[in-house]
Amino acid sequence: MLASALIIAICTPFALALILACPPLRGLVWRAMPFAPAPALALAVFTEAPLTVTEDWLILGTVLGLEATARLFLIAATLVWICAAVAARVWMRKDPQATGFGLCFLSAMAGNLGLFLVADAPSFYALFALMSFAAYGLVLHNRDTASLGAARLYIAFVVAGELALFAGFAIAVNEAGSLMLADLRATELSTTAVTLLLAGFGAKLGVMPLHVWLPPAHGAAPVPASAVLSGAMIKAGLYGITVAVPLGSAAYADAGVVVVTAGLVTIFAALLLAARETSPKAVLGLSSVSQMGIIALGIGVSLSVPTAWSVVMPVLVFLAAHHALAKGALFLGTGAFAAQAGRIRAIVMTATLVLPALILAGLPGFSGALGKEALKAALDAGPAGWVPWLTLALTLSGVVTTLIMARFLVQLWRARPAVPASVSGDALILPFAALAVGAVALPALWPAIAGADARPITEATPGKVWPILAGVTVAVAAVIDAHTRRIGWGAFLATLTAPIERATARVTEALARRRRAVARRARALPVAVDGWISARRFGQTGIAVLLVTVIVIETVERRIRPEPEPARVVPAVERPPPETDHAAP
Amino acid sequence: MIDTPLLPLVILLTSLSAAPVLFALPERKARLRTALNLAVAALKVMLVILLAWKASQGVIYDVRLTVLPGLDLHLQADPLALMFVTLSAVLWLVTTIYSVGYLEHGPHRARFFGFFSLCVAATVGIAMAGNLFTFLLFYELLTIATYPLVIHNGTAAALRAGRIYLIYTLAGGLMLLLGTLGLWGLAGTTDFVAGGVMAEVAADRPGAARALFVVLIVALGVKAALVPLHGWLPVAMVAPAPVSALLHAVAVVKAGAFGIVRVVYEVFGIDLAQSLGVTGPLAMLAAVTILYGSIRALSQDDIKARLAYSTVSQVSYIALGVALASPIAAIGALAHLTHQGVMKITMFMAAGNLAEGFGIKKVSQMDGIGRAMPGTMTAFTLAALAMIGLPPFAGFISKWYLAQGGLAEGHYWVIALLLGSSLLNAAYFLPMLHRAWFCEPPERVAQIPARPRIDLWLTAPPIITAGFVITIGVLANAPFSPLEWVRFIVDTEFDGGL
Repeated sequence: MLASALIIAICTPFALALILACPPLRGLVWRAMPFAPAPALALAVFTEAPLTVTEDWLILGTVLGLEATARLFLIAATLVWICAAVAARVWMRKDPQATGFGLCFLSAMAGNLGLFLVADAPSFYALFALMSFAAYGLVLHNRDTASLGAARLYIAFVVAGELALFAGFAIAVNEAGSLMLADLRATELSTTAVTLLLAGFGAKLGVMPLHVWLPPAHGAAPVPASAVLSGAMIKAGLYGITVAVPLGSAAYADAGVVVVTAGLVTIFAALLLAARETSPKAVLGLSSVSQMGIIALGIGVSLSVPTAWSVVMPVLVFLAAHHALAKGALFLGTGAFAAQAGRIRAIVMTATLVLPALILAGLPGFSGALGKEALKAALDAGPAGWVPWLTLALTLSGVVTTLIMARFLVQLWRARPAVPASVSGDALILPFAALAVGAVALPALWPAIAGADARPITEATPGKVWPILAGVTVAVAAVIDAHTRRIGWGAFLATLTAPIERATARVTEALARRRRAVARRARALPVAVDGWISARRFGQTGIAVLLVTVIVIETVERRIRPEPEPARVVPAVERPPPETDHAAP
Repeated sequence: MIDTPLLPLVILLTSLSAAPVLFALPERKARLRTALNLAVAALKVMLVILLAWKASQGVIYDVRLTVLPGLDLHLQADPLALMFVTLSAVLWLVTTIYSVGYLEHGPHRARFFGFFSLCVAATVGIAMAGNLFTFLLFYELLTIATYPLVIHNGTAAALRAGRIYLIYTLAGGLMLLLGTLGLWGLAGTTDFVAGGVMAEVAADRPGAARALFVVLIVALGVKAALVPLHGWLPVAMVAPAPVSALLHAVAVVKAGAFGIVRVVYEVFGIDLAQSLGVTGPLAMLAAVTILYGSIRALSQDDIKARLAYSTVSQVSYIALGVALASPIAAIGALAHLTHQGVMKITMFMAAGNLAEGFGIKKVSQMDGIGRAMPGTMTAFTLAALAMIGLPPFAGFISKWYLAQGGLAEGHYWVIALLLGSSLLNAAYFLPMLHRAWFCEPPERVAQIPARPRIDLWLTAPPIITAGFVITIGVLANAPFSPLEWVRFIVDTEFDGGL
């Protein structure tokens, strides 16, 4: 019964992929695609972990099973796959290459979900390979220059990673004397084996310097494929490390230092790359790289101090689930945004995207912040010298993520992703919203899902808001800076002062208008008076009156005035001009 | 129900006696020839199954015809022989189906199928040979029977290839004759015995024992295409596709590899070979061949040439696993005998279909061919992924056991070698798959109607063998899988040393 349930869970997506090869049934397969992960989800939700079923005859003796950790990974992964499948149906409706995409999508799904359900190394390796190679078709799907380049890079890393895993597993199995993953992680494996396994899984995880493939692949793949690449598939790398590397049973101090250093570099260097990246989806990919740096800190500390693993692991699982949902939502939201027609709807969509972005950045009380705080608490078990630096790095990672998210939102508008013509924006909102709601509700749901493993999360402090504020501030400053770089400081200040100048100008103009009115009135009065006067011929009348008056006065005055006395004559004295004195010596 | 101690002889004679009839049949009686071919091939598969079943019940088959005192024509059915016989019988049936379709309207069909039948009879003889003398007889018969097949097309290139092939293999045959005489002279017997017959000789004259080992390995290495004796193999790929398929999968190349297994395990014995210090150089030679073949394959644009160099590389896995002197590596080596056969025959038949259907002979012409020939290319893809060593396909199983065997003996370089080989395999197979599935087809291919121009006779065989590639890998741990069978063989060869 359990065996068949496990086999059905692994094989359903694969069977659908095979049916896809049959043309009359293709429509049916596409309709069924969102339900392909359902058996795995049901298994994860309704069964008690751990369970084990041995199938001796399969490959080299397959052991199917579901452990507690795998169950949590599986739940998060199935949710992302279901939502991405809904989006894929919409995205691929009119695509001429839809069948190939569906085949690769379902095969990758079978591999990704299946690898959580096996307990032996060869089967795990087989399903991991199936997932990795099938995703080649997803990255390549658009078949433009960028996709071809990204796919080439991707397949190179996949082949290298698979080879490292083959060697790592071969050596580990030889040392452990068993094919069971549980025995591998209980054995004190050699450093060679652990290094190879870490390298193989690290390439999937995208920790620097193995991140090179990740941003181009996420940028080039169609939106539903990016969502599962980032939301579900890179988690398989983390799961592989938790399940095959003997963390918690042996110390690998050197590897620990390397991984922690790589993690620290990754967290911050991703920002530098994101600042130069133009495609919004590639920016999201770099955000995943940065987030996996945080995960690497936990792994590195546990490599150095095995006792830390028991407290670190539940937190890493939570962080993985958190990242799966939030990043899946952001990718699907990117598609939904790009498919919106009209400015208003695009603005509303952007505002909605801010929520998962902030959750990822660590909005206090939400999953990102809780996970980071819990990780800080768990890393206290690490080497004493590292703890303050790790705590600082984790705090600053909030700033970094906020900045990357800001870059993402800006680039969303500046380099809007291409969308197939037939995609309707509305249909893409549902899967996005489902994952976004999942990301919001994760802290509340986690105790119910994870049971005792959720304790570090429920006990974590809500987190601080200042990294986000700092990030927003820096982001705004950066936007301003970029803006001024483009148009120059003078022009920028001009835009800033433009409203004041406009107001001043308006006031000035009003005053001037009034002054002109007054002046006009002032000019009009004399004219009016003048007109009135001339109309009434006051001028001539006045002059006539004046003349008459003068004549009258003269006449009257002559009559009444006495004769004047004769005037005293003053003798005129002749004086020579002074110039002549000098001029004629 | 046939139940006779002469069952191995009956199996040998089924194809051997079919040959004259096939030669005699007039050219135009195509249906009769097809019916006879298929009937004999199917009969042989059934007889082999019967033989295997009887042998697993504990019946021991041992047929001896004395030629000279102490020199017998000796046929036996030990587990190793059974494995090779089963492989050749099953793949012969598949290849016969394919050949019927491939040569439907071609000339000289009577000649072709006659020699084809002889060739398989020789392979069966090699498999069941109970001593080196018998082995030598059938080894030479194989050379003679395959030459007309290689030059079947009759073109100048084919004749030249046939000449080169003949020079190499006849020289190898002479070496083998020398070796057989040497063995007879030194040990007084040429029998294949688990644990070897050379212990006393080696104690007295270790130098002579070493020299004999070298002579035998060089003689067999010609057919097994060990570098630098591989020169004939890439040239011989001018042969028709079914011939190449059989040559690379079961007949010639495998005969050499199988002979190496017999010589190391049952003439010298692995412990003796190790103490003589000859396994190390053999392992080195195999390692060089593995890398050299893959590196040369990288630069081949001709599909069949690329596959031929890939064979050079892959067959040496067998020699490597034998030379590592570890029971686990031996499992990998012997399993690869079967696995490589199934994978490579699939690829050659698929390559033949590309040439027949669309005239595609070069890798650079493969753009978009996956959509035009989905069945053929699916088979090719599965076989290529298996060659790279991806689980759960057949190739992974052999590589895994070789790696485990190398590690068990502390040879970490084996891991590096396998990684290098897998990387090279990926580097020359993945671009082919990329072109076939992800590139846009040129006009010429796109315009051809969706229904392939080649019929079921040609498309079915590679799909069937690709099915083997999957089932052998997925059911590796199930009873009667090649892997289980090989474990049983190694258990007897190593005296329960597992």
